[in-house]
This record gives sequence, C-alpha cells and structure tokens, in this order.
Amino acid sequence: MKTDHRNEGSKAEPVSLIKCLTECGRGEDVEVVSVNAGFNARRRLYNLGIYPGSVIQKRKDAPFRGPLQVIVKGTNIVLGRGLASKIFVKCEDSCTFN
Amino acid sequence: MSCHTPRNNYKKNEYDSKDTINIALAGNPNVGKSVIFNQLTGLSQTIGNWPGKTVEKLEGHLDFLGYHFNIVDLPGIYSLSTYSLEEIVSRQYIVSKEVDLIINVIDATNLERNLFLTFQLLELKVPMILAINQMDILRKRNIELDFEGLEKAFKIPVLPVVAVHGIGVHELLEHAIDIIETNPNGEYDFPDLTSISSFGKEIESKIQKLIIEIENNHSYLLECNYPVRFLAIKMLEKDEEIIKLVKKNEKAQTLFEIRNEFASDLEEYHGEDINSIISSEIYNNITQIVEKVIKVKSKKEMMRRNFADRIDHLTTHSFWGYFILILVIFGIYAFTFTIGDFFGTIIDDAFSLWTVSIYSIYGEENILVKLFWDGGLGGLIGGVAGVLVYVIPFFLTIEILQDSGYLPRAAFLMDRIMHILGVHGKTVITMILGFGCNVPACAGCRIMETVREKKISIALTSLVPCAAVMTVVLGLVGRYLGLGWVLVLFLINFLVIFIVGRILNKTLPGTCTELIMEMHEYRKPNYKVILKQTWLRSKEFIFKAMPIIIIFGISLEIIFILNVLEPINLVLSPITVFWLGLPMITGVFLIYGIIRKELTLVLLVLFAENIGLTLGSLLTPVQMITFSLVTMLYIPCFATIIVIAKQTSWKYAIQIALLEISLALLVGGVINLSLSFLASVL
Repeated sequence: MKTDHRNEGSKAEPVSLIKCLTECGRGEDVEVVSVNAGFNARRRLYNLGIYPGSVIQKRKDAPFRGPLQVIVKGTNIVLGRGLASKIFVKCEDSCTFN
Repeated sequence: MSCHTPRNNYKKNEYDSKDTINIALAGNPNVGKSVIFNQLTGLSQTIGNWPGKTVEKLEGHLDFLGYHFNIVDLPGIYSLSTYSLEEIVSRQYIVSKEVDLIINVIDATNLERNLFLTFQLLELKVPMILAINQMDILRKRNIELDFEGLEKAFKIPVLPVVAVHGIGVHELLEHAIDIIETNPNGEYDFPDLTSISSFGKEIESKIQKLIIEIENNHSYLLECNYPVRFLAIKMLEKDEEIIKLVKKNEKAQTLFEIRNEFASDLEEYHGEDINSIISSEIYNNITQIVEKVIKVKSKKEMMRRNFADRIDHLTTHSFWGYFILILVIFGIYAFTFTIGDFFGTIIDDAFSLWTVSIYSIYGEENILVKLFWDGGLGGLIGGVAGVLVYVIPFFLTIEILQDSGYLPRAAFLMDRIMHILGVHGKTVITMILGFGCNVPACAGCRIMETVREKKISIALTSLVPCAAVMTVVLGLVGRYLGLGWVLVLFLINFLVIFIVGRILNKTLPGTCTELIMEMHEYRKPNYKVILKQTWLRSKEFIFKAMPIIIIFGISLEIIFILNVLEPINLVLSPITVFWLGLPMITGVFLIYGIIRKELTLVLLVLFAENIGLTLGSLLTPVQMITFSLVTMLYIPCFATIIVIAKQTSWKYAIQIALLEISLALLVGGVINLSLSFLASVL
C-alpha cells in the first residue's frame, strides 16, 4: 500500500515521505511507519524496538546490496536487505539525496 | 509441552535440602551473563542439553554463606516469545518449580533494550534481582545511574556489577539469601505489575477480562505454571506455545473467540497489530523509567569510542573488511598450526624416546606393552600431541574473536553471499569456527533460527577444512608439492562447499530467512575472561573427548594384533586402488581418519618409515593430491558426526556422512583420473 510513495522522492516538497528503510539515507533519524514482514520476523523486530512509532537510524549498508546496520534504542542491529525493504519509515525530504 | 503441577505462588522446593538456592541467570546475549556465571561457579560447571532440546544447558554450583547455590546460565534471549527454542526453554524453566530466584543481568550501556526482557521476566512472578553490568564503562562515559530510582520503579533489588573484575558478583548472592530468608514460607511479596508494566487502559481492561475468563473457564491452562496474567498477555499476542495448549482443550473455541474479539478491538483502536501495540507500550514504560534514572554528566569518553568506531568502520568496509576477514581466517590457521605443531613435535619426540626405553625393558612384542603403552598411552599422547595442542590455541583465538566482538562483522559482510547458499550471514560465524575445529563449530550451529538453516549450516560447516585437515594438506602436499597446490586444494574444497550449499538450498523445503542480529561495539578483550573460557572449553574437551581417543587407541591396537588390516584393505581396494589410484594400504588409514583426520597422515608416515621409505618416494604427486583431497572431504570426523546428530538427528548425521563420502569419491576420482591423464600426456 505504501509502495506507491517510492518514486516521489525526487519531488522537492518539504514533507516527510514514506519509503522503505533500504531507500532512506544514512545517519538520519526516521520514524517507523509499518513493518510488513511475516508474523515471526515482525514480532522479533517489535521486541527489538523496531515498531511503528519508534525512531531508528540507518547507519551503514553492507557492500553488494547486503544487509543494513540500523541503530535502534542505542544498539546496532543488522537486518537482511529483504527484511529491511519491508520496513517502511517516515523520512524528511532531505534524506532522499546523500 | 511440559506441564507440571500448578504453581500457586513462590514456594521453596520441598525436595531440595533446606539450604539449597536455585538461581537462573537470565539476560540478553552478550551482557556478561556467562562471565558472572564463571565468576560465581568457577570451574565446577557442567555443560549439557536441555531435556529433549538442542539448546545447551549450563549448570554450576557453589557454596556461599552456608547455602548451596545451584546456578543455571540460561541462553541469551531478547524476549520471552516463541521466536527461538532458547526463548521457550528459558520461560518454561523459569516457571518450573526448579527456580527459586532469577538474576536478570543487564548491560548498563544499553538499558532500554535490556529492560524489555526484564518487563517480561517480571510477569513470570519469580523473585528477581537486577544485576546492572558494565558499570565501569558507564562511569567512564560519565553517565550516572540512579539505582534507588530503578529499585523504586521495579520494586526489586537492583545492584551494580563489573563482571569482568568480579565486582559486585557475590553481593548478588547475598541479596538472594536475603530474599529467601525474609520469605521463609515462600510467600514472596510480588510487586503489583499493573502499576509497573501498566499497559494503556484499553489493553489493561482486556487483559483483566481475559484473566477472569481463564480463571473461571479455562483453569486447565494454569497447570502449565505460567501466571495467569502472563497467559492472558500471551493469548493476546497469539503466542504459539499458549495457543497450542489452549487448542488441546475442547473449550478452546470460546477463548479464541474472546481473544480475537479483544485483539481486533485493540487493533482497530490503535491502528496497529496487537504485537506492535504491546511492544510499544512496554518500550514507552521503559523510556519513562530510563529518562528518570540516567544522568549524563559530560561526553569525555568520546575519544575511545571513536577508536572503536574506526575499527568498526574498517572491519565492515567494502574492501578492507573482506581483506581483514581473509587475514583473520589465515591468522586462526597460522596461530593454531604454529603453536600446535611446536608443542606437538616436542611431545611426540619425548614420547618416542620414552617408548624406546620401554621397549628395551619389556620387549616390543609384549602384548601388555602393545595394548596399554602403544594403544592406551599412545592414544593419549596422540590425543595430546595431535589434537589438544591444536585445540587449545584454537579456542584461545576464538575466545579473543568472540570477546572483542569481531564475528558479527564477518556475518554482516558475508550475508549477501551466504544467501546464495540458502542461509544468512550467521553461518559465516560457524564456518570461521570450523577452520579451527569442526566439532565446536557444528555445535555452534545452534544459533541458527530455523531447522532448515541449521541443517544447511551444519552441512557447510562440516565441510570446512579444520586444523587437523590442514596438518594433512600442509604435511603432504604443502611439504612436497608447494603451497600453490595447497591453494588449489582449498579452491576445490570451497567449490564443493558452494555446490553443496546450492543443492541443499534447492532441495530442502522452505526459504532462506533474513538476518536479524545485534552487532556489539568493539571492546577490549579481557585476558582473564579469555583465559578462563579457554580453559573451561579445553577442560570440557579433555574430559569428554580424551577418554574416547584412548579407547580407540586400544581398540586400534587390538585390530593390529588380530591382523585384520589386510582383509579390510582388500575389500576397499576397488575404491582406493582402482578409482582413486592410491596404494592399497591407505584404505585402512582412511578408516582411522574418521576418528581423527590427521591420523591418515600420521599412519602413512609411520608406514613409510616402517618399510624404510620417505613419503616422497612412497606416493606420487598425483597420489598425494588425491589422498589430501579425499581426507579433506570424505567424512566429518567421529566427534563431529556425534555433534551433528545431537544438533539435528542421527538420520541427518548419517546423510551428511554419506553425502560427503560420495562427494570425496567423486571429486577424488575425477581429480585422480584427470591428473593422471595430464601427467601421462606431459
């Protein structure tokens, strides 16, 4: 449902955009909007502090389209790219380009 | 599922003698729980398995202030859901009547995430102490923690600990005694959870209604020892274990209907799914508490953290990261091999000198000398000189890697590549361990979340050339044909691993799960902790594996005495001689190699010496390559097979063994034929 917003990043409107975690910029605090993973993975992410409303930050991408490092509640969590693409976050417009 | 007699409230186990206190250590992974466990129980520990589970159970004992303490180090977990076996084992054990008190170990530098488990543990209604570890680091960062505030918030004792230096560790037990003594009849005054972990009004009212429903109409659920409030919350969360319990009963339908109605009410109200609501409410509570108790005084510590950050950046870098990874793997080899070889040679030389004098006194053909000196003691010395001297430095390097926090970086770098083989990055951790020794590495495959991934990881890890295999490859191919050929053999080995991974990925049902892994900050390894852990692991090996090696040594000698070598070699000769092109005698050596892989080379050398030849004149270069390759691949060693069976099943262990035998024959045969052909052409 939220995937429609993906390509709107290029429009220079000063609104927050919803996109998946893989697409958002590094080092920016973003708010989780929804986690569309399967039941088990979703509950795991919730328990680790990645739930709708929590604020997280992408720290680093692994080379070759590998996993992501995300800072959650002060800890470093590594998420597989497939999973990260199912996490939707609210970004400020500025993080589209980096 | 395990159902015990109902546990009304905390009662001291009547079967135990009066002065035994049973403690469970619980906490997130990597918070120093095991360090506290080691500080307390020292070397009196047993490592076993949880009944019927593949989860490791660590138990230790100590006598302190007139009490006997029985301490269980639970696996590191993030929550009490059913995400992994560890979580289920932990919560079932805590509510079983075997636990008098929980010590919840918490990393002071990471309060928020750690307290999530604390909130869930509180729901289990077992007396609890919070141990806040790594207080030294917190102080260095000039952050102050208000312990009174924490105690007020949770209504349980909260104590500072610096586990690596043993500070505050025994105070935990003093408090445990205090709690037990002030509640002699087990009438422990539990804090009112509705005031601590209060969910929002809507959720709390649903929980209360579910509690009443369960108490009135579904009391069979209480037989599983979980407190009713825990059951109600888990019902809302759609917890698999609890759902299964309910389903067993015929009244289940009504409870499900109520649960579903409540859940959809709440989901509609909040606009999120129920698990998200519950997690976020718990985290909201935590944030409120943490904001009150933490005081940042200044940010002086940034210097050191920057250094750790820089190492972190380098080891996860898209070029240097891989470079360092390769260096680390070679480092493990080089260290394990150099140290092991050095001490192994000394011990072997000493033993052979000693043997000469024993022979001269009692005679070489004396059957007792053969059995107990050559067999028993020979086996022991072989075990020490051939295995133990490699295993100890290996454990040492692994502990350093683990304690510093490097291994998750390797998983981060390799995740993408491992997905091709049907597993995620964590398998790289077990594979790196496999370079030293397949046995602990395959046991380490328990970190994989699903059965499918565990199976693939074990298959891949058991194919990694271990230090013992390295001694064969280096001692034969490396010594006579040069390191270039060693590299070729390695490449073939990794190609085989790659193909096996691809095949398993295609054939095993299910899909690859995604990596979810915590990556800790680097920390300076503490040498005391490392030495202690190394010793504990080595001790485990010495007392469990060495007796087996000695027994095998004796039985080997019996086989020699009975002279059944020839028939075995004859039976194997179609494979060894015709297909692999090896001398007939190697057949039996390869069988011994199942016990310990380096035996293949050791026996070959002994045999060559016996008939007055050197290895170089006994084997042709092609035979050397084939022989090494077959040794690399042909079967996991005996101890590895046992570990695989323990982690999965005997069926799978035998399947792996058969798969690897056929792979070795296939690859060995093809290499033999093609190299022989090339040699004849050239």
